[in-house]
Amino acid sequence: MPAAVPLARRAFLARIGVLGAALGGGGLLTRSLLNPADAATNPLLPPAVDLVRPVLAALARDTLNGLTAFALPGPDQYSRTQRASSRTPGAMEAGATDFMINALEHFVPFPDALAQPISAALVTGLADTGISLPGLEVLPAELRTLDQAFAALLQSDETLPLSFPIAGLLNLMATQVNPAAVNGPHLSPFARLTYAEKAKAFELIEKTDSDLVALLDVQFPEPLKASVSGLLKFVGGALIEFATFGAYGEFAVFDPKTKQLRKRPVGWTLTGYQPDGPVEGWDDFIGYYQGRTEVHD
Amino acid sequence: MRDVIVIGAGGGGPVVAKELAAKGLDVLLLEAGPRHAKPREEWTTFEDDANNPLTGYFRLGPTDRSKPAWYREWPQNSFVWQLSGVGGTTQHFYGNYPRAYPGVFKGYDGADRNEYDVNHRFPFTYSEMVPYFEWVEAIMPVQTAAMGHKEQLFFRGAETMNLPVQTTKTTRGPSYRPQENAILQPGGTAGKTSDKNLLNYPQATGCTFCGYCFQGCMRPNGAPRNQFAKRSTDNSYVPMAVTAEVWARGGKPVELIADAYVTRVHTESRHGVLTASGVTWRDNVSGDEHREDARVVVMSGGCTENPRLWFNSGLPNPNGWVGRGYTDHFFDWMIGSFDDYTGNPKGVGSSARLDYPPYGGLENVGLPPALNAFAGTLSDSGIRGQYRNGRGQTGPWDGPAGRLMGPELKELLAGGIDKLLTVLVITDDDVEAQNRVTTSALPADENGPIPKVTFQQRKRTKRTLNNREFMARKAAELLRGAGAKKVYRIDWAPLILHVQSSMRMGESEHNSVLDPRGETRAVKRLFIADNSALSNGLGGPNPTLTSQALATRTAEKIFQTYFDGDPWVRKETPVVSTDPRISVRLGQLGL
Repeated sequence: MPAAVPLARRAFLARIGVLGAALGGGGLLTRSLLNPADAATNPLLPPAVDLVRPVLAALARDTLNGLTAFALPGPDQYSRTQRASSRTPGAMEAGATDFMINALEHFVPFPDALAQPISAALVTGLADTGISLPGLEVLPAELRTLDQAFAALLQSDETLPLSFPIAGLLNLMATQVNPAAVNGPHLSPFARLTYAEKAKAFELIEKTDSDLVALLDVQFPEPLKASVSGLLKFVGGALIEFATFGAYGEFAVFDPKTKQLRKRPVGWTLTGYQPDGPVEGWDDFIGYYQGRTEVHD
Repeated sequence: MRDVIVIGAGGGGPVVAKELAAKGLDVLLLEAGPRHAKPREEWTTFEDDANNPLTGYFRLGPTDRSKPAWYREWPQNSFVWQLSGVGGTTQHFYGNYPRAYPGVFKGYDGADRNEYDVNHRFPFTYSEMVPYFEWVEAIMPVQTAAMGHKEQLFFRGAETMNLPVQTTKTTRGPSYRPQENAILQPGGTAGKTSDKNLLNYPQATGCTFCGYCFQGCMRPNGAPRNQFAKRSTDNSYVPMAVTAEVWARGGKPVELIADAYVTRVHTESRHGVLTASGVTWRDNVSGDEHREDARVVVMSGGCTENPRLWFNSGLPNPNGWVGRGYTDHFFDWMIGSFDDYTGNPKGVGSSARLDYPPYGGLENVGLPPALNAFAGTLSDSGIRGQYRNGRGQTGPWDGPAGRLMGPELKELLAGGIDKLLTVLVITDDDVEAQNRVTTSALPADENGPIPKVTFQQRKRTKRTLNNREFMARKAAELLRGAGAKKVYRIDWAPLILHVQSSMRMGESEHNSVLDPRGETRAVKRLFIADNSALSNGLGGPNPTLTSQALATRTAEKIFQTYFDGDPWVRKETPVVSTDPRISVRLGQLGL
């Protein structure tokens, strides 16, 4: 095993879901793509860093599918995996994952100066937490390539989509709650959890003095240090609130050009809101309480 | 050189601008965000399009919605609902205009006098404030709210609580009533039909019960801007400010510039006294910086932005109170589910309230689905049935407090959003130095170092914490009385939406930023006129009326002190903001 990839780091990559997404059963990269020998003999093969980028995107989407199904379960596979599903449409049908990704990647005005070190911390920062990782038998050479690709991506000027550290955080907590979640259906550990386990993952994020906060803080110089722990407390709540808002809103069916709805939002159907669409008013005026139309001292 | 530069066209700035424009002063009004001059083209009725804090047209950010919003640091689970744009947060407010409780003013001698935030009272009496309340109430105008089904249900619950009905403007003790709202009462077909062909102005006047207060009021369709039902400042004070020459003798219209982010207040030493001399603002679109001087500068950027601008301008903070004492009514949220129709998402966002000095109050709040879902999941108590995050209070509600989410929320809403009645729990919260705005260590944005808003929600004063528990129990009692089959308590994480007192006016120079006239103690010719100037959390009443009354008083002080003028509120009759002369002039201006 190459010294450049210590065990803790490899375990960490597995825990935030990257190894599984890249190389596990159903993973997005074939081992040969990352095989240095192949790369050396095939000049047309994209550099590993280009291979990693779509893996991260797919991992983030899968993780967020796990999150939005948690916010609004439906008849989909993610809801079934969490063992809380529903016959009526849920977050997948409402396009809530697209809502989250759109927000995280284009509109969260989160400074790169912070996103970048958080991402780096999530990939490199944690010590071995002593959790055994079943079923992880990756060839060292492949792992090394992947690891280097990561390092290259994180060190480049390229802005990482914010969905990556968010997914990393959720997956890290997922494997804390259930170490076996490094393997299984879906791409991400978080999506493999039951509903109760997902709740436990959020409990860990929300815990004010969580070890995670302490560990991540180590990676930041003062005065950013205190900011990161506060930020994580905020993120735990915001992910749930925002995913739920997105699942019940009109994002997926709203046409920004015409400012009209393409069809009825899932959230409206579920709640019976505005059965005939937007209105100019309602016939809900009953009168004035006790007939009083004005008051004076 | 202007007479007055006002920074911020939200709930407070336009009041000072309009009042001084009426006196003929040359006023420049600068707004950091957009000006929604054509709401029928720019707005919709949809929650994500309107209220998404990142992308919505009601967000904290520049006009160009393809650009990110302005990031603010909140180092705790919380949500500070700031809005940029002409109208500020009055764009999405519900127009609730209760007066502050008398107990929060100097000289109050009621039997419960020792039970308020006694160390942070207003430095003048309630009776001194009354003419300013009356002035604003006449201008808006403030009217007794019309009743829809959700209000009828709220009153049914309140009627079981052995409390009197308040039939005065002033709240003298625990009582309930229809809101006094800055919403025009329905007239003609308004409130009587859902047929949009019958809801055009002037066939319909005032509130049409559309239920879209939070998405912005542009109804009745076809009405002049100053006759839209909800009296946000972009429908009331701003139209008056930019047309001052037609309704005030000797009036001079205000110049309003949007997308103009003020990054610095300039000062100079005059005879050894630090004195405000002007401002620099940055054009959001071009990035160009502009500087202009003025005889008086008024900060009206709100509770979060005023302290930031103060710090970024390098102004002195001798007692350390700039940004401190931030109050937010430490809200909570209660949901009642009913077998019968409640009318929840229809009508004005809130038209019924219950006041309970010296503890706080309650009001009904109707919300559409996504905001309802958001409100059910914002909690400091974990997820109901899963974990409690060290809290999860139990009481006369069902189960522990906590997030109502996932399958449980879906099941609740499947019964129909119009079978819910939701109640906002409003706490009379204390001014505390620890709840504050500082400058963030995170990277600056294009307008300089950003503000950080810290609330120590679990470590608030005993009185604040007790008041919140008291009012949450009252909310449960009300919902049960109204016939709720189930009552849920969410235990909101800080939802900082009623904001007050972060640049507070006070009697003592040791714990206030403003002197009793509204001028900053540290810099002469620099005034603050918005919610941040309030001395305290008012006892719980929604802050806009009191804030605007105080801003009117501050405008008088500015005029008296620096322009040799006479006060007018006690001797003149106010012009109502719906005045047809204003409508005609707005039409000429293409507004």
